[in-house]
Amino acid sequence: MRGRFAAGLAAAAGLLALSVLLGLSVGGVRLSLPDLLSGSGAAGETARLVASLRAPRVLLSALVGGCLALAGAALQALLKNPLADPFLLGTSGGAATGAALAAVAGFSPLVSPAASFAGAVVSSLAVAALARRGGRLDLQRLLLAGLIANAFFSAVLLAVFSVASGQTARTMLFWMMGSLADATLGKALALAPYAAAGLAVLLAFAARLNLFAVGEENAAALGVDVERSKRIVFLAASLLTGAAVSFAGIIGFVGLLVPHAVRSAVGNDQRVLLPVSAVAGAALLVAADAVSRAAFAPAELPVGAVTAAIGAPLFAWLLLRNP
Amino acid sequence: MAPPAKPVTPFVEARGLTAAYGATRALDGLDAIIGRGEIVALLGENGSGKSTFLRVVARIVAPASGELLLDGRPLAALGRRETARRTAYLPQATELVFPIRCLDLVLQGRAPWARGFSSDSPGDRDRALAAMRACDVEGLAERDASAISGGEKRRVFLARAIAQEAELWLLDEPTAGLDPRHRLEFLELLTRVHRERETTVVLVTHEIDLASDLADRVVLLRRGRALAAGAPAEILRPDLLRRAFGVESRIETGPDGKRRIVPYAPTRL
Repeated sequence: MRGRFAAGLAAAAGLLALSVLLGLSVGGVRLSLPDLLSGSGAAGETARLVASLRAPRVLLSALVGGCLALAGAALQALLKNPLADPFLLGTSGGAATGAALAAVAGFSPLVSPAASFAGAVVSSLAVAALARRGGRLDLQRLLLAGLIANAFFSAVLLAVFSVASGQTARTMLFWMMGSLADATLGKALALAPYAAAGLAVLLAFAARLNLFAVGEENAAALGVDVERSKRIVFLAASLLTGAAVSFAGIIGFVGLLVPHAVRSAVGNDQRVLLPVSAVAGAALLVAADAVSRAAFAPAELPVGAVTAAIGAPLFAWLLLRNP
Repeated sequence: MAPPAKPVTPFVEARGLTAAYGATRALDGLDAIIGRGEIVALLGENGSGKSTFLRVVARIVAPASGELLLDGRPLAALGRRETARRTAYLPQATELVFPIRCLDLVLQGRAPWARGFSSDSPGDRDRALAAMRACDVEGLAERDASAISGGEKRRVFLARAIAQEAELWLLDEPTAGLDPRHRLEFLELLTRVHRERETTVVLVTHEIDLASDLADRVVLLRRGRALAAGAPAEILRPDLLRRAFGVESRIETGPDGKRRIVPYAPTRL
């Protein structure tokens, strides 16, 4: 386990370093790597200045990506379902609805993470209740319930846009499609404790999640308090999703794809998979955000569109490779 | 030939045990005693509560009412981990969605003993590998458990129960889906490790002959209650089988002198 942990984490950290360099150098002004790395001379100073303006955005992207990948990995193990993902299960939609409702109700943006978290929890509970059949979560019903939740939350969000003023509606629309354009250092620092708390809880439950990955009964028969563990892991995943959504909107595929890819590289030991997924998720979203800024510069794509554009074909490829 | 009567010390004791899934009552006042060191077979028609009883003892399902004692102590008073250290549950079939090495599956048996359920210390590995050797599945250690045969999977789970160092093994239809050779091999292995480790074994089965050959005692279940319990020769009789299963059966003596129960027709009411 230690060998895989070290190798997996080192590889993911390497990817993260590369994507951070990419994230700092692309955008309206393209920086050259030597200037960025040396920071000396006039070009170097400009590079440093621009990079310091981009740094908060890169940091926020990394944190959001880490949160989403962690939440996805934990839900997949908990539900013994490789298709579980905060986006597909409607958790992100619930979180976005919570934040949007808080915003139109005139609450301060500081309340936004709490409102997102509340929305994420309500959505998770509703989806879990819909998917429950004879005392257990049914796999097919879970995905259907997620679909229903997403449809419902889209309706609420669209209604909120219709009543919001023109400018607010445009900002919200971008946010709903997933955007890191309004990143500030303050936002990144506000998200960090949520990310850390979620990570700490999930790592403490990683070995239990290994037992869940074989089945809920398996975990129960080996001495795990199943209901309590499920509640805690669900809440931690909702917290991570809610926090990520409140700062960056709805970004799909990170929670689904990253654990998948990491699993095929390091195996399914959650004690390795969770931390490596967090770092790999950070790397993916930083890179996706760089692409969103560079692809049609000076115009920006919503980062959610980029993750979907990368994620969907990659996921299709993974499906074909592991039938 | 009746097995010699052993003095029975109760290891598991159920009194008026009930359990339900939603509105469906699966156990409805079950009284049963499993003696220490015995092999006890639970027989009964589908839905009679056999598997539910195993699942209640394994703490997968919580009982609704009644008493359940493990080694003289109420199960509810025992911690979940404590219970899991003493009882191993072998599921009928485990659908594996994610890849997992057989060794890791066996190592999970050490989870109730490990801090934070994180069980792969060198000591855990030694125990897991020794258990796999005892069940002749050491060669599968690195293989993905979803890619092995049903017979191999049963052996791997038995190895896990050994690694768990549990005194009580709960087996849910351990021979279902096995071809004759794998069935016989598994039963040989089970009897051998049971004898070596002096474990108590409760097995749910639909094979009347298996219960007759292997069990020290049979508990016949019907609608969530014990219809009868005792030595196989006392219980596996046409009249009781008619009440338990609704079948007509006759007793035959095979060329090896063994008593065989042959169900031949559904009872017409």
